[in-house]
Amino acid sequence: MARDVVTLEQVRKAYRLADTPFWALKGVSFTVAAGEMMALMGPSGSGKTTLMNIIGLLDTPTDGRYRLNGEDVSHLSEFDRAVLRNRTIGFVFQAFHLLPRLTAVENVETPLTYGGYHRRARRRQAIDVLDRVGLADKAGSLPAMLSGGERQRVAVARALATNPTLLLADEPTGNLDTRTGNEIIALFHQLNAEGATIMIVTHEPDIAAQTARTVRVRDGLVEADEPHAAVWPPATAGSHDAAAQRSGHGPE
Amino acid sequence: MAPSRRRSGRHAREAQRPIPRARASLDPLEIVLIAFRSIRSNLLRSALTTLGVVIGVAAVVALTAAGSGVNASVTDRITSLGSNLLTVTGAGRGAGSRVRGAPPNSITLADAQAILALDDPRIAGIAPQVQINLSIQHGANTSYVSVVGTWPDYQNVRNTTVSEGAFFTQDDNSSGRLVAVLGYQVAQDLFGGSQRALGQSVRIGGLPFDVIGVLPDKGDTGFMSPNSQVLVPLTTFVTRVHRDSPTGTPRMSAVYVQGSSAGALSGLQQDLTTLIASRHRQSDPANYDFRILNQADQLATLNSVTGTLTLFLGSIAGISLLVGGIGIMNIMLVSVTERTREIGVRKALGAKPRDILAQFLLEATMLSVGGGILGILAGIGLGAVAGHALSVPSRVMPQSILIAFLFAAAVGIFFGLYPAQRAARLDPVESLRYE
Repeated sequence: MARDVVTLEQVRKAYRLADTPFWALKGVSFTVAAGEMMALMGPSGSGKTTLMNIIGLLDTPTDGRYRLNGEDVSHLSEFDRAVLRNRTIGFVFQAFHLLPRLTAVENVETPLTYGGYHRRARRRQAIDVLDRVGLADKAGSLPAMLSGGERQRVAVARALATNPTLLLADEPTGNLDTRTGNEIIALFHQLNAEGATIMIVTHEPDIAAQTARTVRVRDGLVEADEPHAAVWPPATAGSHDAAAQRSGHGPE
Repeated sequence: MAPSRRRSGRHAREAQRPIPRARASLDPLEIVLIAFRSIRSNLLRSALTTLGVVIGVAAVVALTAAGSGVNASVTDRITSLGSNLLTVTGAGRGAGSRVRGAPPNSITLADAQAILALDDPRIAGIAPQVQINLSIQHGANTSYVSVVGTWPDYQNVRNTTVSEGAFFTQDDNSSGRLVAVLGYQVAQDLFGGSQRALGQSVRIGGLPFDVIGVLPDKGDTGFMSPNSQVLVPLTTFVTRVHRDSPTGTPRMSAVYVQGSSAGALSGLQQDLTTLIASRHRQSDPANYDFRILNQADQLATLNSVTGTLTLFLGSIAGISLLVGGIGIMNIMLVSVTERTREIGVRKALGAKPRDILAQFLLEATMLSVGGGILGILAGIGLGAVAGHALSVPSRVMPQSILIAFLFAAAVGIFFGLYPAQRAARLDPVESLRYE
């Protein structure tokens, strides 16, 4: 039986707008089991970004309980959240967010540096995860020299570096064309098969469909939470047409 | 704080990968490297930011070097006049004096002889001095010089020995012989060399003098310099060269008394004051018609004046250092805003607020310390150039280097703290969204 990585119990989050609290989350409860690959879906304004920030320990809930690996982390200090975030959460962002002055391997090393790993162990581990995402040969490249897909794979490697319990991907394919996006999703499937727990935050139904479970959020509440068969691999026919349609999202 | 990392199921397999053990916190060296990289990646801006501190530190080092150089050169000049020196001169025409019409040189040869008659063991030598500006001739060559009449003790008391020939003797003095010791420049002007002047004859005030000695080059020019003096026996001076006082005893411009030790000076000064006051029938110490200067007092006064000057110059330079610090703060604030997203990313990857604080604080400190090092080098160079241009020997003081360096580092920390705190306090959610 797989243990639960994320347990949310009636999580609520208020923002103060001109003295009247605005409830971005109105009581969200669900769990994510170890080894799951699931999608968090919702339109903009639904509260899914707030939810992701709380799950990713970037923010704290106003009330309710959030347990990460069984431990209550609802009210941790910023310092403790930073330490825990470093060890348990791996972020993948839509805009990659690689540090432009650092090489691929140095970017991957950054979380290990903050984790206090020794230099040599750090480099070994970074090369190891770069190899896992198939970019060992680009270790010395600056982000500017990499394609969009390669950048996102470096970002995935960076998220994996500290061997976190949860990979949290925020619109990971949003800045990529369909084909490259599919490569990233394929990478997630591969990592999931190797044991990683992955949560993809997206507003695109076809991305969500490629996972095994979708949690739908709307107006600060869970609207639907259903397991489904992952549509994977996607039909290859027409994927180039799809890429052409989303021409605004070409590789940078 | 940290969750217990229980591993089960598929994660057990994951755990088989050798995971390097994490240490408690970030290695300080790592923060240095992060800060250094960030400075390097914006080299031009970093250099310009540093410029304020470079100029400030250079100014501190150069100005204090010039100040202490001036001090050293004046001190040298005073001590070169002789050591443990008391100078007895006339006074009374100065401000505050009620003795109207008192002669400026109230000290007489008789006073000098009275001091000599004391036969005080604390007195190592006595040299009265009287001088007049006259022309000196040899053949067709004429020079205007300061002719000084004094006793043979002058060479000890005033620390003056001849480089060629000999000084005049007590016998020369008591016999009033027409012998002269020429300053270096006088010998150059009249004879083209010290060696050639020896044994030659010169005319001073119409009288034929034999050149028996020449003084060494004192490295100084100008009318008051020892290089432009001609020394003759005092008796010769007052009986033949310049008879100023047909009735009384000849007046002296100064009487130099050398003490046997520095410790004896102030006691000796008091006794001489009492002696001369009674000889001159003076009763009001505030209006004595003479004055006795103590060399040690002069040096102390000088040191306090140049010390104040150096401090003043140093403070002005310190202000420019402060301005440099404000420049660093300004750029660091811009840099924090510019790098808001980077800060957000670093925090998302697990940077603690204090890691971010340390990174930006170190960046500011490295800028100011780097500027401090460049400034010290520039200051040493500048001090040397300025000293050369003003012919003041500049003396770089190690303590001013240390103070400037520490001050620069403190400026970096002080002015870097606020921007670094701003960076550390940024909300990761907000900063990740920052465009």
